[in-house]
Amino acid sequence: MDVTEILKSLTDTFPEVISEATAESEIRTRAYVDRKKAKEVCQYLKDSLQFDHLCSVCGVDYIKRNEFEVVYHIASYDHPVVLALKAKLPRENPQIESIVSVYWNANWYERETYELFGIIFKNHPNLKPLILPEDMLGEWPLRKDYKGFPNKTARNLV
Amino acid sequence: MEEQLEPNEMIIHLGPQHPMQPGPFRLNLRLKGETVVDADIELGFIHKGIEKILENKTYLQGITIVDRICYLVALVNEECFVGCTEKLLGIEPPERSQYIRVILDELTRIQSHLLGMGEFGEFIGFVSMFMYTIREREEVLSLIDMITGARVTHSYLKFGGVRDDLPDGFKEKAIPVLNNLKKSVGDFEEMFHTDRIFRERTVGVGVLTADVAKNLGVSGPVLRATGVPFDIRKNEPYLIYKDLDFRVCTETAGDCFARVQVRLNEIRESIYILEQCLDQLPSGPLFPENTYYGRRTPVMRVPAGEVFHRVEDPRGEMGMYMISDGSDKPYRVKIRGPHYPTLQALPPLIIGTTVADVAAISGSMDGCTSEADR
Repeated sequence: MDVTEILKSLTDTFPEVISEATAESEIRTRAYVDRKKAKEVCQYLKDSLQFDHLCSVCGVDYIKRNEFEVVYHIASYDHPVVLALKAKLPRENPQIESIVSVYWNANWYERETYELFGIIFKNHPNLKPLILPEDMLGEWPLRKDYKGFPNKTARNLV
Repeated sequence: MEEQLEPNEMIIHLGPQHPMQPGPFRLNLRLKGETVVDADIELGFIHKGIEKILENKTYLQGITIVDRICYLVALVNEECFVGCTEKLLGIEPPERSQYIRVILDELTRIQSHLLGMGEFGEFIGFVSMFMYTIREREEVLSLIDMITGARVTHSYLKFGGVRDDLPDGFKEKAIPVLNNLKKSVGDFEEMFHTDRIFRERTVGVGVLTADVAKNLGVSGPVLRATGVPFDIRKNEPYLIYKDLDFRVCTETAGDCFARVQVRLNEIRESIYILEQCLDQLPSGPLFPENTYYGRRTPVMRVPAGEVFHRVEDPRGEMGMYMISDGSDKPYRVKIRGPHYPTLQALPPLIIGTTVADVAAISGSMDGCTSEADR
């Protein structure tokens, strides 16, 4: 299965959901997805296009555009193509549907994205901090407007 | 967890400091008699905030930081970070540098597997195993020390090449070490196969099937022990791995014994790769010609863009997602470590086993909490 085939199948099935689908190279491709339909697209990728391996879920803060992006890197155990599926979220009240029911190992990645960026994953089975101490919840340290680095972080831990 | 506790149940915390752990994490076990009914992991005891630190350091300083993700596989972490940056810069190191990098990657794989096996032996009460493997590992570390000048954190890779050439007489020093190691690996294998206690502690313990392992998202020896030939060096070759001859080691049993067997076979394959590299090592420059790379560059701006680069860590798939906005510092770096999904898969694996097997299963994963926490 190669990149053009994957992109064609994806855009044909979800014409209004997928946008800016581009192939960067033979094994890398990326596409934007409507945040309300991210879970359905993931389910389709897993069931129909052999994307059975979730590499990572991460957040990116584009403060100049006043929005977050949640980036799903989805790969396969069978073919070498990695798809970067991105969903744009507003900076005020960012919410997206959790994909734990599709990819089991999204659980920790989504918890980590939640505690570092404040992005809420709806219907997540256990959305609580993973690697940060509980009293740092609400500071969202990986946002670009976080002022506490490094002084405040150090003070909190002492 | 506490609320639903029945009269004959109890909760035991393993950790954050416990001899069976590769680093601090807390394992909360709910026990009924000796059987584990429920398990839960708490992380974050050595969270270093490396992703945030990298946003505040230049690319060159970043090389030093990514060494600290996991001290055992510092060179592979560097390879991933430098590979990301090179893709953004659009350069490729010359062949000699690529060979030197592969030599270092494979030496790292050997020493990491040796320590992992030794620790695993120690966890299940086979303490002398640790003495045997650490002795061999010392020789391998000396070889790495010869090249990079450091044993644990190296900062040796540079954008477009490597810092120094191989020292004189490296091949002559390396060949006896590798030959010795081949003999030792055979000895270890014989020890594992004939020791009745070791077999009883590992065969049929912590069994993963291929479908379950894929669903849990694990990679590396844990996945290959279930029969899935997933190896980034073959699936998505980087550096000169596509020119080298090696096989992906798989087993079918999926238990703790099979994981150790995969590591033993991978050490053999790494030795084979090293022999090929030492034989074929071409001469030539270390950095791309007619460029500034390799000279002193105080400020290096990287073109805007984003890249996701994967390499094969001794523990599985290591990936980094790097976004550049055109300045001298990365806009965002996401580190996808190989042990993070494997550690996440630990609770489903140990539920239903006995407490004594928790150490065996956790140890056979060859973990590194430092990398899961970052």
